[in-house]
Amino acid sequence: MKRIFAALLPLLLLCGCAAKEYSTDFFAMDTFMSVKVLGKESEALAQDCERRINELERELSRTREESGVWLLNHANGKAVPITDREADVLAAALAISGQTGGLYDPTVAPLTDLWGVGTEYAHVPEQREIANALLQVGASKLHLSADGRQVQADGGAQLDLGGIAKGYAADECAAILRAADTSGLLTLGGNIYAVGTNHGEPWVIGIADPDESTDYIATVAVQDKSVVTSGDYERYFEQDGKRYHHIFDPRTGYPADNGLRSVTVIDENSTRADALTTALFVMGLDEGMAFCEQNGIAAVFVTADKQVITTPDVPNVCTFFFAGAEKGYTDAQ
Amino acid sequence: MRSRMKWGDFVIIGAVLLLAAALAAALLWQAAGDRLYAEVWQDGVLLERVRLSDNTDRVIEVDGHNTVVLSGKTARMQTADCRDQVCVRTGTLTRVGQSAVCLPNRVLVKLVGEKAEVDAIAG
Amino acid sequence: MKSKRITLCGLLTALAIVLSLAERLFPLDAVVPVPGVKLGLANVVTLFALTRLPSRDAAAILLCRVALSALLMGSVTAFLFSLFGGVLSLLVMWALLRAEGKFCSLLGVSVAGAAAHNVGQVLAAVIWMKTSAVASYLPFLLLMSVPLGLITGLTCAAALAHMKKIDFDV
Repeated sequence: MKRIFAALLPLLLLCGCAAKEYSTDFFAMDTFMSVKVLGKESEALAQDCERRINELERELSRTREESGVWLLNHANGKAVPITDREADVLAAALAISGQTGGLYDPTVAPLTDLWGVGTEYAHVPEQREIANALLQVGASKLHLSADGRQVQADGGAQLDLGGIAKGYAADECAAILRAADTSGLLTLGGNIYAVGTNHGEPWVIGIADPDESTDYIATVAVQDKSVVTSGDYERYFEQDGKRYHHIFDPRTGYPADNGLRSVTVIDENSTRADALTTALFVMGLDEGMAFCEQNGIAAVFVTADKQVITTPDVPNVCTFFFAGAEKGYTDAQ
Repeated sequence: MRSRMKWGDFVIIGAVLLLAAALAAALLWQAAGDRLYAEVWQDGVLLERVRLSDNTDRVIEVDGHNTVVLSGKTARMQTADCRDQVCVRTGTLTRVGQSAVCLPNRVLVKLVGEKAEVDAIAG
Repeated sequence: MKSKRITLCGLLTALAIVLSLAERLFPLDAVVPVPGVKLGLANVVTLFALTRLPSRDAAAILLCRVALSALLMGSVTAFLFSLFGGVLSLLVMWALLRAEGKFCSLLGVSVAGAAAHNVGQVLAAVIWMKTSAVASYLPFLLLMSVPLGLITGLTCAAALAHMKKIDFDV
C-alpha cells in the first residue's frame, strides 16, 4: 500500500500548485492604475511596482516642488541639475519630439494651462492668449547638457513630461517583472503593458469605444507589448456646443481637429508608444498612416466617421480582432 | 498468465478514476464560482463588495461625494460632486473588468468576478 | 549473453521509437490542445524492459527513446513532456513491479504507469508554461490512461507468454 501512496504523491503535489496572482489598484499620476502580477512573488512585486510609480511621480511631476521639472520651470532660463532618470526621460522625449517633427512636444504646458482642459476653469482662450502661449512652446527651447546632468530652457519654455511619464513608468515596472521572470498586466490609466503571458495565453487588450470608453470596439492579443491609446474622449469640455479635448496641436495652439477619435500604438517601448499616440493623433489619419508605414509602427486609428484602420505592421506584433460592428464601426483595412 | 487481475489492480484503477473525478470536480467547482460582484473603492480601501444578481437594487453613498447605484447585474456612478463628471458620464457598467473612476474623489466602482472577455481596455 | 542483451536493448529502443511515431497518428490535439502531449503507447516497451531486463537497461532504453524521438520529430516541449512522463512512469512501474504477483497483475502496473506518464507530462507542461491551467486536461488524460494501460498491459503479458513458449531468454 505504501508504494501506491508513493506513486500518488506527485499527483497530490500537482493539485497543490494552483496559479497565484496579486492585483493592486491605486491612484497615481492623475489617473487610476491597476497592477496585476502572476507567480509566487506576485504580492511583493506588485508593491515594488506601486512604489516605483509613486517614486517616478514625485520625480517627474510638474507640480511637486522637489522635482527637477519644477526646478527647471522656475529657473528663469538658468540651467538646473537633474537626476539620471530625469535626463533619461527627457532624452527620450526630445528624441521622439524630433522624430515626429515636434508634433509630440514636451513643452506644450503653457497651452494646456491656458485652456485648462479637465480643470474647473476650462474655457476657450482668446486668439491673442494662444499666440502668446505658443511663443513659449517648442522642444528646441530645451537644452540637455552633453553629460546629461543639466538642463536649461529658453524663452520661458515649460517642461511637462506628463505625456510620457506613464509610459516610462510602465516600462520600468515591466522591467521589474521581467527581472523576476514573471508575467503581469500593468494598466496605468489608458497606458497598458502586457508583460509575458496570461497563464500561457496572450493578454487580450480592448481598444476603447470613443463614445463609451468602458466598452471596446476591437481587441489586440499581445505578449510583452505595450498598448497605449490617446483619444479625444479622455479629457474634454464643451463650450457653445463644440467639444474641446486635451490633445493640442503645437502648430495651431488648438486641440487637434482632424476627424480622428483615438489612436492606439502597440510597441515594446511604452514611453515611445505614449508619445507616438499623441503625435499621431495630431498628424491625423493620412499623415499618421504614412508616418507609421515609414517607421514600422503598429497603430490603430479610430475616426469620427466610425472607421477602424490598422497600419501594415499591426499583424507583426499582435493578433488584431475587430469587434465594433454592432456599434456601427467598420473595419477599414 | 501475468495478466490475471488481482484485487490490487482494481485498487489502482479505482485510484486513477477517483483522481480524475476529483480533479474534474475541483475544476468544475472553480468554474461555478465565477460570479459577478460590484466593488466600491475609495482611495485604495474597499468599502463594499456586493454580489450582483438579477434582482439587485441598492444605492451606496460614498461620504456624500458619490452615489453608486447597483441595479440588476449592472452598476453605475449616479452622482458625483466633482466638476468633471467623468465617472457619471462613464455610464452603466455591465461587464467584468469595466470600471467607473472618479479621480477628484478617488472613488472607484468596478465589476469583478466572472471571466472577463478582455484583460484590460486601453483608452 | 552480453551481446544478446545489447541487441535486445537496441531492438526495444527501435520499437519504442516506432511506437512514439505511431502515436502522432492519434489526433489528441483536438481534445488536449497542448502540442507535445501524447498517449504513451511506448510505455509498453518500458514495461516489457522492466520485466525482462535489469532496471538500468530499462532506464537506458527510455532515455534513448526520448532523446532519439525528440531528434526525429523534435520540439523542445515534446522532449520535455516525454522525459517527465517517461521517467515518472518508469519509477511508478518499477516500484509496483516489486509487488506484482502478490498485490496486483501486470495490468495494474501498466495502468499506474500510464497514469503516471500523463501526470508527468502535464507536470512538465505546468512547469514549462508557468501555469496550472493546463492541469485541466489531466482528468481526461487520466481517464484515457485506464483503457490504454489495460491494452499495453495485455500486450506486454501476451509478449511475455509468447517468449516463454518459444523459450527465449536473456
